[in-house]
Amino acid sequence: MKKTLTIAAGILLLTLAFVWWLELGPSQPVELIPTLTGQPEYCLTCHADVPEIGPSHPTETFGCVTCHGGERLALDADLAHSTMRGGANPSDLSVVEQSCGGTSCHSGSEVDDRHHVQRVMTSMQSTYAGAIASIRFTFGAQTGLTPHSGVNAVTDDRTQTGITSLSAFDPLSETNPSIQKFGENCLTCHINATPREGEDYARQTGCAACHSTQQHTFTTAIPYTQCNACHNRGNYDLRTMTFIERTDHPTQRIDNYYQPIAQFTQCEYTLDCVDCHTREEVMGDGDLHASKKDIQYVQCKTCHGTLTELPKTKTLTDPSDIAFTLAFLNPVVDLELGDTILVTEKGEPLWNTRVLSDGTYELIGKANSQYFTFKPVMGSGCTQSGEDQSSAYCHQCHQAEH
Amino acid sequence: MSELSRRDFLKLTRNGFLYLSGALALGGLLRFLDYEPNPAPKTEFDLGPASNYPLNSRTVLSEPPAVLLHTGSGFSALSLVCTHLGCTLENSTQGFACPCHGSRFDADGNVTHGPADVPQQSLRVEVTEEGNLKLFTA
Repeated sequence: MKKTLTIAAGILLLTLAFVWWLELGPSQPVELIPTLTGQPEYCLTCHADVPEIGPSHPTETFGCVTCHGGERLALDADLAHSTMRGGANPSDLSVVEQSCGGTSCHSGSEVDDRHHVQRVMTSMQSTYAGAIASIRFTFGAQTGLTPHSGVNAVTDDRTQTGITSLSAFDPLSETNPSIQKFGENCLTCHINATPREGEDYARQTGCAACHSTQQHTFTTAIPYTQCNACHNRGNYDLRTMTFIERTDHPTQRIDNYYQPIAQFTQCEYTLDCVDCHTREEVMGDGDLHASKKDIQYVQCKTCHGTLTELPKTKTLTDPSDIAFTLAFLNPVVDLELGDTILVTEKGEPLWNTRVLSDGTYELIGKANSQYFTFKPVMGSGCTQSGEDQSSAYCHQCHQAEH
Repeated sequence: MSELSRRDFLKLTRNGFLYLSGALALGGLLRFLDYEPNPAPKTEFDLGPASNYPLNSRTVLSEPPAVLLHTGSGFSALSLVCTHLGCTLENSTQGFACPCHGSRFDADGNVTHGPADVPQQSLRVEVTEEGNLKLFTA
């Protein structure tokens, strides 16, 4: 009997000691009450060392839970993280509406063209519809190149292209083994796909794929290296329908592209991709498109014009012009009312350019703040016809030597 | 010195376990009673003597983020919390500007440029009998 009592007393002591050990964590949680929600969060108790994500999303205003979800008052890590959205990437397109959406944020409002979520969901970067249609057409699974499916299902109620919806591409329902392999091996890179396993791939979907250049950073100053994380990884072997990772380690930027035979002008290996390619090209224009060619439209002549035409320009007279918003978010240039900038053929502002008084142009690098000056084709010795303006024609004379 | 019997050893061990358990339980209770919850956010701020804020002055306050105005019709205040998403507004040449998303407000707190679409919030200011200013955020 006495032995039993002693054992019971020992168990009681061990139990109490275990409870003390569990409670030895921070006795006073670190509280943050974000201005936006007014609701206390204890996330900083453990995550005080996480850097602020950027000037548009200050921690004291947004807190953590607004974007990441999670149990805001939990001090146990597993419980706190149990309801997080998207794991390390709340901008993954499967949860982006809850994390980044809302009419005051990035969806549901066309004011200032802020319906980013809708545009991205229908963008070619998200649907990969053109490639899927092309592969299915090539292997006889469909009769034309009109896309019927995307990486995920998506609809476009206000289509301007005639494509109202895409079903989710299901490789398992395909009968041709090449299409099945394509589905298994070639879709992980797209921003609406399930990322490959591993920390390195966790932020290669959703908004973070482009805008998160370092851990817990969001920016519109996107360097070419961020684009290269997907667009420079290797190439498809269409014979075996596998993706071949590149194994070389180029030391010069001009060699740092995944198409070894590609030609480049100085612009293409000196500037960053976002210096020329616009938000509509990259993030979509809200419509479903059949091919990348239908949405990617900026060419050399957009900035340089042709022999007979100068590039399009616009003098900023409206303080609400979206050019000011874009320049505000990435202040590499102090844009002012009265400035004349270049615009694309669709009227998108190339807000990081200026028309100089001598008739030349200036471009300020969005990612590196470097200044570049350039001239129009008009008045130069160029003999290229105004009709033949794709990059292949310009490369004939202006390609850089590898 | 006599050897400790098995019975006494068990008794001693059991009592030791029980005393230690009691001490741990008591310690836990004291720790619990000692816990101080975070106070509710302040909604009332003492701004000191009203004489510190001369007529026609505009004083930017950091706690709470607000601008105190002293005009011919008395004291008033505008919140410097942006009505878009809650960032703290900064002084600009025309009024106030949001450093997060670019909203702009004129000197009276009216929106001149979005994404904010609601004017800055007016805050209540009272002068106490002692001549001090009190600012209320709720």
